[in-house]
Amino acid sequence: MKNSYSRRSVLTVLGAAVTGVLASPAARTAKAAVQKVLASTGAAKGYDPTRHKWVMGIDVNNCIGCGLCAEACKRENHVPEGPYYRTWIERYTIAKPKPGSGDARGAATVESPMGGMNGFKDPELSKDEILHSFFVPKLCNLCQHSPCVQVCPVGATFDAPDGAVLIDPKYCIGCGFCIQACPYGCRFLNPRTRTAEKCTLCYHRITKGLQPACVEICPTQARVFGDLKNSGPDDPIQKFYRNNKVQALKPHLGTEPRVLYAGFDKEVS
Amino acid sequence: MPHRFHLPPQLVRIVLLAGGIVGSYLVARYFLTPPSFGDYGFYRGAALRELADHQPVYAGRKACKECHDEVVLKLEAHEHKNLACEGCHGAGQAHSDNPDIKLAVLTYSHCVRCHEKNLSRPKWHKQIVSKDHYAGSKCTECHVPHSPNEVP
Repeated sequence: MKNSYSRRSVLTVLGAAVTGVLASPAARTAKAAVQKVLASTGAAKGYDPTRHKWVMGIDVNNCIGCGLCAEACKRENHVPEGPYYRTWIERYTIAKPKPGSGDARGAATVESPMGGMNGFKDPELSKDEILHSFFVPKLCNLCQHSPCVQVCPVGATFDAPDGAVLIDPKYCIGCGFCIQACPYGCRFLNPRTRTAEKCTLCYHRITKGLQPACVEICPTQARVFGDLKNSGPDDPIQKFYRNNKVQALKPHLGTEPRVLYAGFDKEVS
Repeated sequence: MPHRFHLPPQLVRIVLLAGGIVGSYLVARYFLTPPSFGDYGFYRGAALRELADHQPVYAGRKACKECHDEVVLKLEAHEHKNLACEGCHGAGQAHSDNPDIKLAVLTYSHCVRCHEKNLSRPKWHKQIVSKDHYAGSKCTECHVPHSPNEVP
């Protein structure tokens, strides 16, 4: 029998070779060099994402539709000009039912000119025709079961341990699946970077101990923000939970949002 | 000569090829996986820091209070106590980093931004129709923005 290689001997030699190469210090140096080119290392300084759980509460009865939040968000996060918003305000106007129709309410219209950034003019209907008109601020709902995370083919979007749903811009290939998957319409494709973008809860602010720009700027405390893992009974978010019947958008989808609403009409979705 | 089992040569080639593919995959993965991958989950942990590294544009009221303590205290004693400084005065991180960079000059548009009558606004909110409400005079002739109930 001359020079016969059994499968076993070949696999053993191959496996040993691979392990040997990987374990050698030379490989480790080479790995470090490759990764230095590819990515920076380490986690956020002085901030441990596992020790926080961020939530936002929105009291619809407090929103006056001034649009400061949408404007502040755009500036704070350098969102491109045009119809791109990480947070925006919608106005719902529900007309009175036509006399004799037997309905309890008329048609509802939803509008958001410029994302509400420059405020709103009076509704088109006159005072006598309106049953109910109100503003609803919207943003990423911070789902606990996020459809956008499930569909991302490259794992660029993820649920951070602190409750923020974030996008790794270096991994995003801009395919747009997440934009279609989001039931709340909170994502868009940035025309400059060609990657998906969304509300990060102002991640650069909350990690520095500041509030998100929209919460900071809101003049009526329609938005409250808090950390469920570090909040006392007097925290605005705990008061929000205590004093309101808390609702979520599209609860039937089972996304379990961490952006919670209080006091909205059944028409809101 | 006893019979000895031999793998057919085409099978040996397939096994070697498969081994090669798996091996090169393992080597590539070893080198290309970012070190922070898997720190918190199936994603790059360093992405969290990169997102956290952006610089704020709005400084927040605490930063304003460091220098403008008196004004903030006055504001906090009156009805506008919950208003953010930067709501009217504009984004202030640049000014807070370098006081030589001045904030934008205020106009009166930000008063009516909140207080102009609008049918969609909640009833508890104080609203005026600006063209019927002492049109032609400035808001500050009758109202002090930092303490709205005070008469100037």
